Amino acid sequence: MTDQPPKTRVVILGGGTAGWMTAAALINQLGQSCDVRLLESEEIGIVGVGEATLPHIRYFVEALGIDEADFVKATHATFKLGIEFHDFGKIGTRYLHPFGSFGAPLKDVPFHHYWLRLHSERRGGEIWDSSICNVMSERKRFLPPKDIALYNYAYQFDATLFGPYLRELSIARGAVRTEGKVVDVGVDPETGNVTALTMESGERVEGDLFVDCSGFRALLIGQTLKEQWEDWSHWLPCDRAVAMPCTSPPGGIEPYTRAHAMTAGWRWRIPLQHRVGNGYVYSSAHISDQDAADALVAAVESTPMADPRVLRFRAGRRKRSWSKNVVAIGLASGFLEPLESTSIYLVQGAIAQLIELFPIGAVRDEDRDAFNRSVDVEYDRIRDFLILHYHATERNDSSFWNHVRTMDVPDSLHEKMELWRRSGRVAKYSQGLFFEPSWVAVYLGQGVIPEGWDQRADVDDAQALEGAVERMLAQISTAVDGMPDHAEFIRARNASIDAPA
Amino acid sequence: MTSGRAIRSIAVAGGGIVGLSAALAFARALPGTRVTVIETTPDPAALADVLPTLHPMAARFHGLVGVDKAELVSSGIATHHLATRFEHWSAPGQPWVHAFGAYGKPAGVIPFDQIWVRAHRAGQALDYDRYSVGAELARNGKFVHPAKDPDFTGSRFAYGLRVDPEHYRAHVRKPASDVAFVEADIGEVERREDGGIAALTLTDGLRLEADLFIDCTGPGARLISLLEDSFEDWSAWMPFDRLALESVPGDGMPATSDRITAEADGWTIEWPLRGRTLVGRVGPQGTDITRGRRLRPWVHNVLAIGDSATALDPLHGYQLALAQNAILLALELLPGRDFASVETDEYNRRAEQVTRRVRDFLALHYLRSGVWRELASVEPPDSLAETLDHYEHRGRLPYHEEEIVSRDSWTAALLGLGVVPRHDDPQSISVPLEQSVPAMQRLADEIRDIVAGLPSYGAYLAHVAR
Repeated sequence: MTDQPPKTRVVILGGGTAGWMTAAALINQLGQSCDVRLLESEEIGIVGVGEATLPHIRYFVEALGIDEADFVKATHATFKLGIEFHDFGKIGTRYLHPFGSFGAPLKDVPFHHYWLRLHSERRGGEIWDSSICNVMSERKRFLPPKDIALYNYAYQFDATLFGPYLRELSIARGAVRTEGKVVDVGVDPETGNVTALTMESGERVEGDLFVDCSGFRALLIGQTLKEQWEDWSHWLPCDRAVAMPCTSPPGGIEPYTRAHAMTAGWRWRIPLQHRVGNGYVYSSAHISDQDAADALVAAVESTPMADPRVLRFRAGRRKRSWSKNVVAIGLASGFLEPLESTSIYLVQGAIAQLIELFPIGAVRDEDRDAFNRSVDVEYDRIRDFLILHYHATERNDSSFWNHVRTMDVPDSLHEKMELWRRSGRVAKYSQGLFFEPSWVAVYLGQGVIPEGWDQRADVDDAQALEGAVERMLAQISTAVDGMPDHAEFIRARNASIDAPA
Repeated sequence: MTSGRAIRSIAVAGGGIVGLSAALAFARALPGTRVTVIETTPDPAALADVLPTLHPMAARFHGLVGVDKAELVSSGIATHHLATRFEHWSAPGQPWVHAFGAYGKPAGVIPFDQIWVRAHRAGQALDYDRYSVGAELARNGKFVHPAKDPDFTGSRFAYGLRVDPEHYRAHVRKPASDVAFVEADIGEVERREDGGIAALTLTDGLRLEADLFIDCTGPGARLISLLEDSFEDWSAWMPFDRLALESVPGDGMPATSDRITAEADGWTIEWPLRGRTLVGRVGPQGTDITRGRRLRPWVHNVLAIGDSATALDPLHGYQLALAQNAILLALELLPGRDFASVETDEYNRRAEQVTRRVRDFLALHYLRSGVWRELASVEPPDSLAETLDHYEHRGRLPYHEEEIVSRDSWTAALLGLGVVPRHDDPQSISVPLEQSVPAMQRLADEIRDIVAGLPSYGAYLAHVAR
């Protein structure tokens, strides 16, 4: 069968971050198999999800053949080594969830087991010092790693610039953009497939495969195909955010995102090159919009650049993100609050699966099912990890924290926490997000100290072990001494682009 | 505190390769823990104790327990194993060489097998195994260690070992201060209140208490079967139920590949060892062999490893790989001596993920062979059915956590069996034939030239012995 089937006509509805990421990736990876057309309306605003990202974004950008320095400059990006959580386990505490491990395994045993043992003997210092990301963050240093086994990084960028950046790139590579609102969705009465979208102008846009990136509106997957939404707000009650950018304060740029726990949710702080993104994610059942906005204004550390703006959402996911010939990507597919900067990652994961399972001719049930299973695994695993941030707390200072502290958690999370409490072990998964160091960070950062640890960590003499740990910490500290200041690094990079070749 | 719950003593039932490997690994990882090996009468059906195949992944186990690979070879216990040649296995097809390590080179994110399939359909590809360094070495009776430079084609293969089982057993039976060996059989079994085992009385009268009992007694599973009898039968997917092993004198010039030949009522494998060839005939005669797995290999304080946990026929020789994998997993997840089910459950969950895919891989060879026609109508296990569906449709291999069968192994078997994707993956057409075909030809030439310049395996061994 050397003859190729005709090109698949892909129609993407919605030109936000998800829509243009999908367009850019499809045109790049499957340009010879599909035509990509994106419909967007300037009248419909975008939510502009996530200014903070995870390291996976680097590979997305790289696969598109984008030069990192150019990208960082264009999106006013900064580098991110992790997220610093304040006041989550207990008011007055803080910890960094790093994009890297704690120490290095010794004799096949992860470092944190040795730390747990030393800690029980009141030795070994702080585990955070064994994370190079943490030491870099404390000192506001940044340098890309020689090897991502050492640590990794992501970007904090202006999401309203990311979409347009990809739009320009996609159109240059052959994607077709159509401006206007969709007023009618044509459905084949026999198959139930979507056949065409009719624009306000009267133009009828036909397609073989439709990607619903219309956000919470979910025009195709929800309004047209009526795919059910699985609601998770009983575990993740935050349903609104109030956002307000501020000027960059003096004193350098933090190479990390901050999350401060608040009375009825938490507040993000994302430093970009030219400003700081701030927002309060809250549960409307526990605080009013006005009180949330006031709390945000009171908490920010520099001058506001705009009035507070309220966003509404609901935690959960579509029971099936791919139904008939419609694939939902982004908010039409599901929503998890940005506590761990997962929004863009989820878009990226869905795109990768769509490319891997891209229909050859008609859509097959087997491919659809495989896609939906994969989306479910991603969402379910992130969901558990997010719930942990709320549930593992001593806070009893508000009705919000009382609720999340005492609520029943999913069985899948309960088992993971039990395993950790027994012996400091993290249930192992290799699919989806958040592996051992991430869980270790949140557990220890929020005061969940296990009763035991790997028996092999008891073998060596405590003093010898402590010496080895001290040497490792000294090595980390010396390595960071040689790294440039984060803001300096960005300035130098930007300047190198402006300089003539 | 862990120290309050730490395992202080371990009894290993079974003195074959598996039991001794477990004793060695636990004693080394947990000095101060008393390990007793009960060398019970060997069970010839405990295939992990009697088969010679060690997959490349054994290197990690050997490294952790301090077994020197080079010493195994220089002392004549082991030979290098690069590949297995399958003959008459695929009814319409050609013989094929199943090698360890990579086939071809991927083009960016596009796997090599998809590139090969396109060229093959256009009649412009050599046999798939011509693009494997390991297969080419094996075909020519040669051996060399993989090159260190990952960009050099001569680095793109892997090797396992073929051990003489009795000598290898003697090698891993290392005397150590914390390990005791008792030659006896199991008499009385005393139970714990929670259902576990408190102590064994051996036939020599010794009463042996332990915190943890490791059951390496073979498919009879003499300890763990007392606790729970829950077995998943795989015989529908691995239909031949007997194995006859025979030793044939060799000419002292071992090959680097095994040979498997399919026959009407079974199949034969030849393992060339130093000075002899071990021949296994899988079919109507010989020792009964079990195929299946225990649903929970870890119950209370009893852990089954080897054929007591998962039993397979000898195809691809995954027995020891699974046993070593299980030993390392048990060490990674070693519970306290109260054996909370949340801890043993995690072991059982992960162990199941590993074994299920090995089962699928073996089942593939039978259900898609075509030699045994009655098997073509057997319904595959769900996860294999999914793999077949996606591979036959467009050359996709679904991802499975904890899988130890590599993508290269899957594609070598699938394509060897003639399971060729119907469609090109849409990503793969970005590499045009005008580009891929010459690149493939250059690669095949390069592999041929690399191998042609090497001395024979016999010469290699003579050099090592010096």
